[in-house]
Amino acid sequence: MILPGWAKSWEFVLGCTLIAEIVILGLISPAFLNIENLLFSTSDFAHVILAAIGLTLVIITGGIDISGVSVMGLASIVLGLSFVAGAPIGLAVVIALATGVAAGGLNGLVVTSTDVNPLVITLATLFLFAGIATGLPTLLDLLGFKAYGAGGFEAYQYEGITGLPKSFTRLGTGAIGWVPFPLIITVAVTALASWLLWATRFGRYLTFIGTSAEVARYSGIPVRRTLIGVYAFNGLTAAIAGLVLTAYFTSARSDLGSEALLNIITAVVLGGTSIQGGSGSVLGTFLAGLVLGYLRQGLLALGITSDVVPVIIGGLLVGSVSLKILSGEFNRRRANRAAYRAGRLAEGNDRG
Amino acid sequence: MMRIVKSREFLVLALLVTMILAVSTVNKAVLYPITLINIVNSSLFLMLLTVGQMFVILTRGIDVSVGAIAGLSAVIFGFALNAGAPLPLAMLAALATGAVAGMVNGLGVVLIGVPPIIMTLSTLGIYRGLMRVLTGGSWIEQVPPSIKSLAVTRVYSVPVMVWVVLAVVIVTAVLMARIRAARWFYAVGDNRDGAFLLGINAAATEFAAYAFSGLFAGMAAVVFVAQIGFVPMQTGSGQELKAIAAVVLGGVSLMGGTGRIWSAVVGALFLTAVDSMMIFLKVPGSWNNAVAGAVLLSVVIADYLIRRSLRNRQAVARAAEMRGADGPTMRMTEARS
Repeated sequence: MILPGWAKSWEFVLGCTLIAEIVILGLISPAFLNIENLLFSTSDFAHVILAAIGLTLVIITGGIDISGVSVMGLASIVLGLSFVAGAPIGLAVVIALATGVAAGGLNGLVVTSTDVNPLVITLATLFLFAGIATGLPTLLDLLGFKAYGAGGFEAYQYEGITGLPKSFTRLGTGAIGWVPFPLIITVAVTALASWLLWATRFGRYLTFIGTSAEVARYSGIPVRRTLIGVYAFNGLTAAIAGLVLTAYFTSARSDLGSEALLNIITAVVLGGTSIQGGSGSVLGTFLAGLVLGYLRQGLLALGITSDVVPVIIGGLLVGSVSLKILSGEFNRRRANRAAYRAGRLAEGNDRG
Repeated sequence: MMRIVKSREFLVLALLVTMILAVSTVNKAVLYPITLINIVNSSLFLMLLTVGQMFVILTRGIDVSVGAIAGLSAVIFGFALNAGAPLPLAMLAALATGAVAGMVNGLGVVLIGVPPIIMTLSTLGIYRGLMRVLTGGSWIEQVPPSIKSLAVTRVYSVPVMVWVVLAVVIVTAVLMARIRAARWFYAVGDNRDGAFLLGINAAATEFAAYAFSGLFAGMAAVVFVAQIGFVPMQTGSGQELKAIAAVVLGGVSLMGGTGRIWSAVVGALFLTAVDSMMIFLKVPGSWNNAVAGAVLLSVVIADYLIRRSLRNRQAVARAAEMRGADGPTMRMTEARS
């Protein structure tokens, strides 16, 4: 049986895995198969997929950005503070998204201006952004801004900012028909990133830089501009993730998303993106995010405690990567053996 | 002498002293010996994690699971103590847990070839999950008070823990300098293929680095439990990133092959001192992370700028030499080198 090309792709495997997973979990616990339930439970992990999509593009360039988890909290608290400081909610959203872009842009700027490993730079900014997010409320107090309610801004530091208007929280809790808004936003961002990656020059540059930054530079590609752009885009998706989470929880907090790093990187890597850069797929990340998210939901529905879930997700991450490496090794050996045999055969023919 | 002054450890140490002196102009209490001792005392946990992390980073790897390993070791330590094991045996159990957890990382990286960040990120989830599974998610509150006495006993008014960790660090440093195999870490990190061709067992070296990282995380767990007197679920949570930050801050390059124990020690001291200084400056604790991040970012950028200007100057000097420039230029380059 010869499979068509698309059926061999990793995305297809992930799609099958997703369906198989839902069916198996549905067989064990029929309540799981409720379509409405399935669609709405994506809201629990839409933020992971959103952040993972931006990170996919960064990892394709051979870089990494672990500060996204802090940008989520930063965007959330910036939105909340702008709102309580009196900005209309639309403006607050724009400010929060701009903060995300600026944060990502800063990463890109430092990454391209120095030869320091992106992991170090984004580790530093992970602390920096998280610290700014937790410290911002007190700073606004110091600067003499006035907040509604008692206790000033500092009161918001720990308990989060609630009372966000309905028009905003609808983004996290509302739906069109059976499709919840977080899922719509995630699909839209996935489509946008896929389009960027496959249909624009920018996207091709990303793959090129990931394959060889040096060659890309000699080929006259604007490496610096492209990299700053991709880190800024990652900041944007992280900020969107933070805002979706804020709307879903109906509360702006500085520590939103801080636990998501393992899940985000797992989604990217399970999605088929090479951590060394040069190849990757946004659709793969999206599907892997769904697989992981439903796995978690399913395990919880089966009565497995949430403590075991990271064990399974961690095992899945290392297992999938090991499998990929080992199967690559296996294929190479098989190809070697085949070539060797063909060589022997040719030799025999020559003699004969 | 010049070499020491130019080194990154010295830069960070100078920054540390400057910071403490600057804060002392606002609040004299910083300079009391007891304050300084307390800063060192509270940096011990991070310091041990950092020293372990250094071995891995020397070989050009990374270990983001050290915090989780420390947590797991702490739980085993608590269990062993509560099961009535004598203190030395319980400590051994904690160290063994750490070492085994590190070896698992090493196996994945060396045997299968999983990229270090993926391997250790996975085990971060696995170990942290295991820790919760083992304890059922609750804290181990009851730990025999004998272990706590380790932390409060003072010799020359310095906690005995500080002496012990100091001894561990010095012994490790001496071993690193005296044992030939210790240099394999540098060789493998600098150029894995080259080291392999020289007859160095690169795989075993990498494996050993992860095992050491786990072992030191186990030690950190013992220190932590002794200092706190119980095992909270958050033990070591987020400390892996702090440890990497401290290692890098101290001047160990993530590209492998450079760095010393002192880098790790100075880095850990600095990050801990930053937190303490915030208290003395009466800055709300919520700013700690921002300051730590800003310091790390500025140090790596400053380091890059220094390296670049050094390189440029060397290039200029070499170009002058090639042109056969005489007298002054030559003398200047000699004076510099």
